[in-house]
Amino acid sequence: MMKALKRLFNTTRPYFESGGKLERLRPLFDAVETVAFAPALTTTADTHVRDSLDLKRFMTFVIISLMPPFFYGIYNTGYQAGLASGLDLGFVPVMMRGAWVVLPMLMVSYTVGLFWEILFASVRGHNISEGFLVTGLLFPMTLPPTTPLWQVAVGISFGAVIGKEIFGGTGRNILNPALTGRAFLFFAYPANMSGDRVWTVVQQTGKQAVDAVTAATPLALAPLAASGEAVTRILTDAGYTFQRLFLGNIPGSVGETSALMILIGAIFLVVTGVGNYRIILGGILGVLAVAYPGYLLNLTSGGEVARMFSVHPTWHLVMGSFAFGIVYMATDPVSAPGMNLSRWIYGFSIGALTVMIRVFNPAYPEGVMLSILFMNLFAPLIDHFVIKARLRKRVPNV
Amino acid sequence: MNAIHLKKGFSPRIAGAPARQLRQLDAPRHVGMVPEHIPFIKPRLLVEEGDSVAIGSPLFEDKRNIRIRFLSPGGGQVARIVFGPRRIIRQIVIALDNDERCEFFDVPTVEQLDTIPRTALVEMLLNGGMWPFLRALPFMDLADPDTVPPAIIVRLGDDEPFGPDPVVYLKGREDLFGIGIDLLNKLCDRVVVNLTGDEAILPALPDQTVTHRFTGHYPSGNPSVQLYRTKTGPEQNRSWFIDGQDVILLGEFIRTGRYPVQRIMSVGGSLAPAAEHVSTRAGVPLRQLCGGGLAGRPARRYVVGGVFTGFTGSADSFVGFYQNALNLIDDGDWEEPFGFIRPGYNKPSYSTAFLSTFHRKPFPMDCGQHGEARACVNCGTCATVCPVDILPQFTMKCLVADEVEEALAHGLLDCAECGLCTYACPSKIELREVFRSAKAQYYKEIA
Repeated sequence: MMKALKRLFNTTRPYFESGGKLERLRPLFDAVETVAFAPALTTTADTHVRDSLDLKRFMTFVIISLMPPFFYGIYNTGYQAGLASGLDLGFVPVMMRGAWVVLPMLMVSYTVGLFWEILFASVRGHNISEGFLVTGLLFPMTLPPTTPLWQVAVGISFGAVIGKEIFGGTGRNILNPALTGRAFLFFAYPANMSGDRVWTVVQQTGKQAVDAVTAATPLALAPLAASGEAVTRILTDAGYTFQRLFLGNIPGSVGETSALMILIGAIFLVVTGVGNYRIILGGILGVLAVAYPGYLLNLTSGGEVARMFSVHPTWHLVMGSFAFGIVYMATDPVSAPGMNLSRWIYGFSIGALTVMIRVFNPAYPEGVMLSILFMNLFAPLIDHFVIKARLRKRVPNV
Repeated sequence: MNAIHLKKGFSPRIAGAPARQLRQLDAPRHVGMVPEHIPFIKPRLLVEEGDSVAIGSPLFEDKRNIRIRFLSPGGGQVARIVFGPRRIIRQIVIALDNDERCEFFDVPTVEQLDTIPRTALVEMLLNGGMWPFLRALPFMDLADPDTVPPAIIVRLGDDEPFGPDPVVYLKGREDLFGIGIDLLNKLCDRVVVNLTGDEAILPALPDQTVTHRFTGHYPSGNPSVQLYRTKTGPEQNRSWFIDGQDVILLGEFIRTGRYPVQRIMSVGGSLAPAAEHVSTRAGVPLRQLCGGGLAGRPARRYVVGGVFTGFTGSADSFVGFYQNALNLIDDGDWEEPFGFIRPGYNKPSYSTAFLSTFHRKPFPMDCGQHGEARACVNCGTCATVCPVDILPQFTMKCLVADEVEEALAHGLLDCAECGLCTYACPSKIELREVFRSAKAQYYKEIA
């Protein structure tokens, strides 16, 4: 089998080499070939041995860690659609229905993302970086399932080109490319990205044909609480119990809903060392550090400080896309700071800002996207000061 | 004696550690020198092909300071001088006579050492070809005979995979080691002996000789790392260092008045026919050192020195002036189907991304790069592994952007050139080469 595959590569290679008909697509050929066969490169300098870990495996592990929320996202999308349209809620039809919605988004995201990646790689004459496989998967998972496919294409294009390639490609971008694309869609097409109607796909084939289903997400619902009314009770009345938020069987963006699945992915990332636990823990601490004092203040003052503060602080961890953002977006090493102390500060600030945006800014029910992008901008500055403090302790050597 | 434990760094579990037994190698018929692997020197030949030389006859001198001479490790005839591009001297090969002549040097007795002035001692070491064993940090160039260093570090035990074990090379020669230490004490008030490895040899050494005992990961046996962990002020940055076995040679030189040619070397690596220590002589051909039998695997790499910093040799080349180790490992020149996603039971890694994390047996290692070069993604692995607390990912970017001052502030000159950052980098960036060449460039500019 492997021999046949090798023969296939050997016979097609001439087309992609310089002078061949498909010379410009050489990065694509290389990318495919190196996935099948790790290349036979040997060390040339005086460090003769190398670690077995490479960037391909590093990025592949991010993709593996995304599998639990991804498959749950497919299931949940199908389930919510079935629920709204009054269709069969068995496992197989639900998965089929979800796949019918999510896989086209994924395919558009990968195809368009790959197009830009190959274009820039062949113009610049370097190899395709594996980072785009992560971006291309992350991006559709942040979108509401009703997003039109052309918007997926526009969003991933913006993320790949403006978020990454114009800075010089993987490793040089200052913003997370997937989130950049998401933010672009959020501000360019708000009608498709927010509100109560975008979170559930409705299929007209159902017995009860409806135009759209209004299903407010917990974060949209919470600020509607009347003065003095416990937000938690409103949520619980709407069916959003803590347990359900944690398990994720609620309408929302494709990959964000299940904190449980994200937790599984997070454990995998942290155990393999691919994701930095400092950022994740810092984020959780940041959420609790802002939400807890607010919660207590709210209790003592009769709920008049800010209504969102009456939500129990732990709810903030499972509501909205905080869990998804802090585990998969904030831990992107390129746009996160590189020092350990900076990573704590960075994670903490993301958590704290997320809660502040949720509580104090009625224009944005969810704050995690903006707070991660905001902290992406600050990451080099945090590093700058942390490095400066650290260098002060060195015995100078010049 | 202070104990210092190195938490940072990394000791990969590589198969092929040399056993402690010592084997006498058959006498070679040729010995050679490889001047191109002595850093910074500008050699000027003092012999021609066909000249007759004795043990201790000067072969070449350093043009930068012609008092520094490198002596012949054998007596006989200069059989061949091999030049490389731009007339770099690759090899000087000496065909040995049956009855090798030997130069004698005028040396004081051990008792006279106390009274002899320092300058006379330096002159004696220069003439006797012993001076180049002393090297100066941070650039690891030869020590300058006209300066007095702040300290001399004796590196007793190199834990880079795989170097000779002090337990083996000190055995029966503790007195020579003591004389060598006495000599170093005449050169500098502060002689620091740093032991890495087995402390069983402590009782055999003269009292109070050892100042620090280093334990923990590689490179706890690296003099730059040892200096970094013990220095108290910037004035110590220019300390000198010398390897433990070379201190024995100093003692032997004083005792016998002859240029010492006997060496104890280690042969290791997963492809070594027998991983052990051998007693042989300086400049031994690699073919002989590894047991001669090279048939079978052409894809074998001869690493002279350790696997993180040694140079690549071939069956036809010779051991370097500073190296006392030969490691034979697989070249790793093969493709691996779906290499990136294999569980990796037998793939050694600093990370925890392989199942090899769960068992502790040593793995055969190869010289494969295990992945393609990529842009730095700021994962920070290099910074967690760096034994001298440099931030290689940031320092590398400083150097690429030509911000030398900033790189120096980051501690560029503390870099031990241990190679761990290059080893661990998942993007396969040649960090050690970036730092090594930047240091060398800076050294040339300030010289």
